[in-house]
Amino acid sequence: MSTSMSKSGSMRDRSIPRRPLLWLAAALLFTLPPMFGSLVRWVPYVFLLALAMKFWMEPRGYRLRFATLKLILAAMGLFAIFASYGSLKGVEPGISLLVVLVSLKVLEAHTAREFQVMVLMGWVLCLCGFFLSQDFVIALSLLTAFALLLVALIQFYRGSSPGAFWPPLGTTGKILVQAAPLVVLLFVLFPRINTGLRVDFRANRLANPGFSDRLSPGSIAALANSSEIAFRAEFPGSTVTPPGSLYWRGAVMWNCDGLEWRAPYVPVSISSRGQSSSNNTIRQRITLAPHGARWMFALDRPSEIPPGAILARGDYLWSIQTIRKARRYEVVSSLGPARKELTPGERREALELPPSISPAVRELAQSWTTQNSNPRAIVNSALQFFRTGFRYSLTPGEYRKNDLEQFLFHRRVGFCEHYAASFATLMRLAGVPARVVVGYLGGEYNDLGHFFLVRQADTHAWCEVWLPDSGWTRVDPTTAVAPGRASLDLHSFLERGIASGQMEARRSGFLTQLARSRLFTNARLALETLSYEWDTRVLAFDADVQEVLLDSMGLANRGTFVLIIEILIVAIALLVTYFGWMQLRTRSRADRVKTSYERFCRKAARLGARRDPWEGPSDFSRRAALLLPDQSERIRQISDIYIALRYAAEPASVAVALDGFAKEVRAFGRYR
Amino acid sequence: MTDPVDAFTKQICEVIVGKNQAVKLAVASLLARGHLLIEDIPGVGKTTLAQALARSLALAFQRIQFTSDLLPADILGNSIFDRGEQRFVFHRGPLFAQMVLIDEVNRATAKTQSALLEAMEEHRISIDGVTYELPEPFFVIATQNPQHAVGTFPLPESQLDRFLMRIELGVPDRASERAMLLGMDRRDMLKELKPVMNPRTLIEIQDNVRKVHASPALLDYLQDLLDASRQRHITGLSPRAGLALMHASQAWALMHGRGMVLPEDIQAVGIAVMAHRLGHDIEQPGQSGRTLADNLLHSVPVP
Repeated sequence: MSTSMSKSGSMRDRSIPRRPLLWLAAALLFTLPPMFGSLVRWVPYVFLLALAMKFWMEPRGYRLRFATLKLILAAMGLFAIFASYGSLKGVEPGISLLVVLVSLKVLEAHTAREFQVMVLMGWVLCLCGFFLSQDFVIALSLLTAFALLLVALIQFYRGSSPGAFWPPLGTTGKILVQAAPLVVLLFVLFPRINTGLRVDFRANRLANPGFSDRLSPGSIAALANSSEIAFRAEFPGSTVTPPGSLYWRGAVMWNCDGLEWRAPYVPVSISSRGQSSSNNTIRQRITLAPHGARWMFALDRPSEIPPGAILARGDYLWSIQTIRKARRYEVVSSLGPARKELTPGERREALELPPSISPAVRELAQSWTTQNSNPRAIVNSALQFFRTGFRYSLTPGEYRKNDLEQFLFHRRVGFCEHYAASFATLMRLAGVPARVVVGYLGGEYNDLGHFFLVRQADTHAWCEVWLPDSGWTRVDPTTAVAPGRASLDLHSFLERGIASGQMEARRSGFLTQLARSRLFTNARLALETLSYEWDTRVLAFDADVQEVLLDSMGLANRGTFVLIIEILIVAIALLVTYFGWMQLRTRSRADRVKTSYERFCRKAARLGARRDPWEGPSDFSRRAALLLPDQSERIRQISDIYIALRYAAEPASVAVALDGFAKEVRAFGRYR
Repeated sequence: MTDPVDAFTKQICEVIVGKNQAVKLAVASLLARGHLLIEDIPGVGKTTLAQALARSLALAFQRIQFTSDLLPADILGNSIFDRGEQRFVFHRGPLFAQMVLIDEVNRATAKTQSALLEAMEEHRISIDGVTYELPEPFFVIATQNPQHAVGTFPLPESQLDRFLMRIELGVPDRASERAMLLGMDRRDMLKELKPVMNPRTLIEIQDNVRKVHASPALLDYLQDLLDASRQRHITGLSPRAGLALMHASQAWALMHGRGMVLPEDIQAVGIAVMAHRLGHDIEQPGQSGRTLADNLLHSVPVP
């Protein structure tokens, strides 16, 4: 007894066994994904480096011993974070600081106590990960990290007995499954802050840099590689996708400055009644990712306005409130002809020009007007101009906003924003009212979930010109340059471009092959569907939805305070039930030993050796072995196990012995 | 841990032939830090057993013969005026020893008996306002003649309770008696006994006895016994008796090389521990304590 005490006492100060450390390292690796892309780039690498260093140092017995060195490293980390962010306030610097300190702790940790500290900090990192991102994939990764930390802790307490690899995993699974109902209950009942799960701590940063009220050269091309999701669109009530290209209308820009266009900061609201109503409408249900601005999207062009939004001048949607959480709305778009009237004020505005237009550009526009006065013909000759000698490229190089001439006559390489901006400017020079529309083009159709997924990479800019006979008419100069673009989403288009050699190869052949393989595509579609469900069902479950749900469950809104009290009562009741159950279970373990032994005694009595009620197990074993010589070995064995289970101080691994005991008793008397 | 105990028990059994169970109980009582009462007719080897125990342990041994005119001062010691130093000097009595054999404890008056029993319980003696600690270990073996013998003062039950066990030696069986008749003179044998255990080892073993594990199931059984005794008899077993039962069975388990107590251990020491505590039931005058204890052990089921 005393020896085992001293053993466990000395274990506290010994170094961490290898296997729990491996689990811990794996867990910490899974806390990394949310950090990449949201923290300063060096921070996650410092973390990785610390982990690698630890595994290099540990078997060699190196340790970070000197307090001064630790202090210097901590100070360096602090300074580097300050230098990177310019402040230590805010979520990201705070989390960066935490990550740097955890890295140092990983390097320093050596004792059992520090191992526990590391596990706790791993859990804190999981929590911080959710502050950075709540995407489905990130959530999966953090759940994995959480589970692995649990495994590490259990493994650590189990000690490093050989062959004990799977039991901790099983225990972890059991714990997680047991916790699941509580998680669901808390998820449904726990009072929300009014922003829902998607707490936007990063409102200050422009989450959506491409989609601003300003269209400048390169602003959309910068997004071409962003796989971030802009929104998802379903077409309720129809399984057929709408015909033609999907132009998702975002904002209309009136203000021209050469290659740079701007939308009004606060648009003027107009009524939707002037819209020519036709039968050719389509209803969409759109789930918008939060972007910190007020843009809302609908197919060109929206005719029925969803609640909480206005129709801005230029026929686009504008949210009354800033969109900081995922928003779902239904909107009806009319695919028919647009309104025809153009007020004098609008006409003046749609013809306004920047002061600095180079003579060469003016000459070009005038060359079209002198040829024909019909606006439609002017448009056609302009498109004809773009069809020859221009190249569509993601990397057109730098342009300044006055580089119109440079673009049109010299370099002739551009992305959609260059074409839209220059085309609209040229139209205005030629006296045709024109404006730029920004939005998205295409999207990827998900067969499993039946929705369109539109990414930031699908951002597009096009033009609208006012023609007397048809009103505002969409003209997409990009299609003149790269005819396939409008019918495909950007990625498919780029892939096709690679195949025909038109575009620069942006990916290696193998990766392209892989990306196009059927399995990969299906897996990606499935993941996107899950992610969509996560966003629309889990993350969108905010205070409003909760209230509706609680109302429907008969728990009418009685205020947060009452709800908290109720939750506490439920929680306490659950705990009491749990402990009561545990109590029963522990008692039943002793009972199980007894029941098994009584069963053994009954069997022995049937064979002719009856135990007196006051007879001790060891006496009975001796007597029964004499009475039943052919069973004596088994009788002795069973009695020994029984004595060990019932009377010994600490029966070694009780569960195993108990099962073995029950098995022995079951087998007893079967073979004679 | 048990080797010295085994050697010790074996050596005593060589002297007291054919009384293995009684000898083992005596050893268990010693290991459990309890005092021992041997009740039997004269001439069955009570004194021999006590002397064998003392010699085998190399303990300071004293023997006191109790008589009806014995006074407390005769056993505790008294203060005598020293003329040279002009003050009273305390002269320690025969009780200041590690092992004390009290012969015929029921021949002394109640006054002397209670003086002895107090020392047994407290392991200290207070005289003239001064407290004297008794040496460690301190072990009393008292012998008494059966109650019906002439000229005895029976020990009150409260004082009997202070003896951990009461054992009987009884006449040896025929074969053992023959061996005794043929063998060496017991007195010579005692002289030749070598100590097999020193007092420090004894104390160590006594400490280990208390660490022998008593599982919840065993304590259930023990308490069932106590409860049954209290239900059946007006003077059931006292809490001290419960402790005695546990310590004695712990010692018994240790002697048999076990780290845990089994119901069998309780049953083995049960009669020795319980009989003298149950023997005063006025409701069942015909029954001796031994029968009552035996009834208990053969009716309370092992849970």
